[in-house]
Amino acid sequence: MSLSFNPTAFDLAAGLLRWLIVMSGVMLIVGISLTLMSLVAVGKTGPLMVVGQIRDGFIDFLGTSPRRVWALTVLTFREAFRRKTLVVFGVFAVLFLFAGWFMSGVTTDPTLQFKAYVSFVLRTISWLILPVVLLLACWGLPEDIRARSLHTVVTKPVRRQEVVLGRIFGFSMIGLLVLAVVGIIGYVWIVRQMGQTPAMRAQLVARVPIYGYKDVLFLDKEGRDKDERGEILKAGINVGDELPFRSFIEGSTQARAIWNFENFSADRLDQGRLIFESSFQSFRTHKGNIEKGLLCQLTLVNVEKNIRVPLQPFIVDEFRRNTYDVTEKNQKGLTDLAGRPVNLAKDLLHDGKLRVEVACLSSQQFLGMARPDLFIRLPDKNFASSYFKSLFSIGLMVITVVVLGVTSGCFVKGPVATLLTAFVVIVGRMARSFMEEVATGDYKDNPQFKMQGRGILDSLIRIPTHKSPTVALDDNWINKTVQLFDNLELAILWAVHQVFPDLGTFDTTEYTANAFDVPFYESLLPSLAVTVGFCVPLILIGYYSLKLRELEAK
Amino acid sequence: MADDIVIQTRNLTKIYRDFWGRKKVRALNSLSLDVRKGEVFGLLGPNGSGKTTTLKLLLGLLFPTEGDVTILGKPAVDVTKNERIGYLPEESYLYRFLNAEETLDFYGRLFNMPADVRRERSRKLIERVGLQHARRRQLKEYSKGMTRRIGLAQALINEPDLILLDEPTSGLDPIGSRDMKDLIVKLKDEGKTVVMCSHLLADVQDVCDRIAILDGGELKVLGKVSELLKDQGVTQMKTTQLSDAVIKEVESLLVRHGAQMLEVDHPTTNLEDLFVKTVRESAARPGQRYIPPSSGNNPAA
Repeated sequence: MSLSFNPTAFDLAAGLLRWLIVMSGVMLIVGISLTLMSLVAVGKTGPLMVVGQIRDGFIDFLGTSPRRVWALTVLTFREAFRRKTLVVFGVFAVLFLFAGWFMSGVTTDPTLQFKAYVSFVLRTISWLILPVVLLLACWGLPEDIRARSLHTVVTKPVRRQEVVLGRIFGFSMIGLLVLAVVGIIGYVWIVRQMGQTPAMRAQLVARVPIYGYKDVLFLDKEGRDKDERGEILKAGINVGDELPFRSFIEGSTQARAIWNFENFSADRLDQGRLIFESSFQSFRTHKGNIEKGLLCQLTLVNVEKNIRVPLQPFIVDEFRRNTYDVTEKNQKGLTDLAGRPVNLAKDLLHDGKLRVEVACLSSQQFLGMARPDLFIRLPDKNFASSYFKSLFSIGLMVITVVVLGVTSGCFVKGPVATLLTAFVVIVGRMARSFMEEVATGDYKDNPQFKMQGRGILDSLIRIPTHKSPTVALDDNWINKTVQLFDNLELAILWAVHQVFPDLGTFDTTEYTANAFDVPFYESLLPSLAVTVGFCVPLILIGYYSLKLRELEAK
Repeated sequence: MADDIVIQTRNLTKIYRDFWGRKKVRALNSLSLDVRKGEVFGLLGPNGSGKTTTLKLLLGLLFPTEGDVTILGKPAVDVTKNERIGYLPEESYLYRFLNAEETLDFYGRLFNMPADVRRERSRKLIERVGLQHARRRQLKEYSKGMTRRIGLAQALINEPDLILLDEPTSGLDPIGSRDMKDLIVKLKDEGKTVVMCSHLLADVQDVCDRIAILDGGELKVLGKVSELLKDQGVTQMKTTQLSDAVIKEVESLLVRHGAQMLEVDHPTTNLEDLFVKTVRESAARPGQRYIPPSSGNNPAA
């Protein structure tokens, strides 16, 4: 089982640049709007007031007292605790008391059984904690303002950002405490459920993969690496999927899929063994031997030395993990095409680069593959490692939702804050990727695919003319005008989608449930970036909302 | 601003607006007044006269539509002024899930007080407001009077120079009310400035040096209580017990000088004094009936 998406390392510099662009844009728009509004409302001194507020904001933030923030944190924690928020533990306990009845034995495959357990636990934790912290965070401050208990706080030397931060830290602490406790219960439950047989116990690992560098490259069936336009082939054959994730290579031809592994040295091998793991998809044009999988062959290549080492072919076991230990499967030793012996470490891995070519050997059959379908497997880590990294990621999501809730509670009442935050969470979790795909035309799981018909006017032309969204419109002035308008509207959509945090980033269930270690650069770093990237502007919004509103306004 | 001016308002105006920004209520209109250091200042007025609005403008809970507020030499929106202010709101809007000790500890933390100072002040204040017996009970279990007391304690946790009290005796029984007034006088003796708003006129008369009477958001009267209440057309004398003959002689003397004796009577104590004495005596000697010394019902007399 491989991942159903392409894990790519987060580019921190590019992310930071994008964040700065969006922040600057938003601040510019807000600044101009406020200046105009102040000119209308107050007159010439209006812009000076806006500047004064910005200056006061800086001074206030510099004067933040950690002790006061901590006092408000403890207050918030105590409040939630005494309002019996922790009853959520009870709900969780009940779920786990009975979950085993329904979940054990759903399949005889330990891999799938493990996946079912882990997915259940991590999703349950997420969906149990999120509503609790969302409600707490959204109602905390509005309730404090309604009951006027905040009056006794802000009439002390407490700055508004200290109130916001105290609430955020307090609710986050509650959320993280609940997460820690239910997380440990969940872990014990999984380990107990998976401890029944040795085969099940063997699933309790966190595989550490090394994926190919960037894209998988392809050779067509004549062995060419470029298409008729002279562009490098980054996709094989499409067997009919509308939005293809996997590309196919035809059997018994010169078609190949090529993985280039970089920064990989022999000392990272598992006790000197080079282990590949694959999960290719089969596409049959005729039944053949239906009980037998397709035949596949890997070839190790050192491009610089021009050494090619074909490995022993293997039968693809579909819907299973295909582990290929190079040493074990090639016990006579590695030899190149001329039959000369080849040393794995010295001849193939000496410069940290390894090229692997995959061929399908079954005639008239096709093997489908995407980048995560083949990887070098490093020594496994403990299951606890990936499980608790998943919990860490959920923790970051909890913090983000708390910050969203507290901020919205700074300027609207509890019910509206709840609706607003829930809307942002739902869009951020379910629709943001779609918005991004529509706005940019880039299909996330297939960089080669560029969506064409995206704009409103473009679609209005395509629907009556039955034109596929994968094909460009005819090159005439009407279509050019349409695209001009659509580009503007898509730019607005792009800007709007930036406002929603990508909560899908926090979901690492697929890694852990498929017994993969949760990678830092591909998963945890983007989660951290989303959390920090949204918390900073949201805290500022919360601060100014609370500072500029009259707490006693009728 | 003179050094002894603690609060200064100039043309302070507050207009409440509706959602669309249209003027709804003019709650305060061009209020200009000064409160001096060390005095007890009363803001009086009927409901809706603008007393509480004034207090909230002073505290920065509301923003003035026009005019300026300076409090302890700083603008009302400056939170650092709050270091030296204590505020008792109209209702004690405290956190009901905390107990008395936790409440005072929490508010002490907001002043960045060290733990030992917080502990010591909390202990003293709880004693001062008479809540030792309920120090560990959550505030949600408190009566209204007890809540007012702990509210007062939180207002004093930072030993403030300026204390703002909104209806301080509201919800208190006569004993609590008397204690509150005694405390206000004591605070004044300690050199603190107290601003209170109330519509219980007797309370204000008992403790305030100066008052301002507001009506419809406008300042109607401002001055010293003693001067405002003085009836210049009447003279009152207080002597030891006089016989009827002496009273008649005094009356004839007054007539000779063209004056008229309007009333001769024995002064009475007020009901509050009687109530307080009765309850305190009862506490000192449980099970026995308290009979005031001057009572005609005293069987021993």
